Amino acid sequence: MNQAPVLTAVAVGDEIPELQRTVEQAQISAYAEAAGDPNPIHIDEELAKAFGFEGTIAHGMLNLAILTEAVARWAGGYDRVASIGVRFSRPLLRGDTIICTGRVVEVDPSSGLVTLELGATSDRGERVLSNGRATVRLSTPS
Amino acid sequence: MPDASHVGRRYRAEGQVIDAERVRAFAASIAGGADLPDLGEVPPTFAAVYCLFPTMGQLFFDTEVGLDLTGLVHGEQEFSFHHPVHIGDVVDATAEIVSVEDKRGRVFLTLALEATRAAGGERVCSGKALLIAPGATS
Repeated sequence: MNQAPVLTAVAVGDEIPELQRTVEQAQISAYAEAAGDPNPIHIDEELAKAFGFEGTIAHGMLNLAILTEAVARWAGGYDRVASIGVRFSRPLLRGDTIICTGRVVEVDPSSGLVTLELGATSDRGERVLSNGRATVRLSTPS
Repeated sequence: MPDASHVGRRYRAEGQVIDAERVRAFAASIAGGADLPDLGEVPPTFAAVYCLFPTMGQLFFDTEVGLDLTGLVHGEQEFSFHHPVHIGDVVDATAEIVSVEDKRGRVFLTLALEATRAAGGERVCSGKALLIAPGATS
């Protein structure tokens, strides 16, 4: 398990480590099967092109899953993620790299909750996830 | 086509099992070619599997609502995690249409999501999904 930051060591403006992941078709196909999402726009190149995309696109929920991993890595585990939400702004094309970022915007010592603002861009410079927000539960030093 | 008269419709998917093999495959698909992180048992967004997809899937086949799946976009998603789920847990999921709005010729439909433990009813997850579909004029 990653080392979790303690609440008192976290300050507004702190940035979480950037998480980059290149999402190839094999990963998108694996997510489609594991998640049970049959939408062919994620696996059928010709169909995706017919819809005006350059090729197949990653599931918004896969992008959100990778962003959630970035938060959990910083927070020290999945169970510390109390909430997370995003807007799916632009699709991530197969073969592109998603770059997830986050910044502390609120620290509440009474509840132990830290609020993060989150986002993700592609290596093409497109905003993939916007208006991202998460709350994480951090431990207070004993 | 969805309209305000559909607000309040509910879709229920009972008995969703948090299956070890499914969780393993799901976690591996998030990692892709990268190493699997050691962050805990169940990735939080596995809520897509036990809560969002099984209920939203029922909406997709609700012919009385008649959502146009061609050109449907998942616009926004949020989850709150109240209690962690573990391998072997069984949860019941519910989605309710809480708003349907026509904006610039497109239909904005919001689902409120909830998952509770089948044994005891403890709420494990809640959330919202915004779906944007072509409207009558688009």
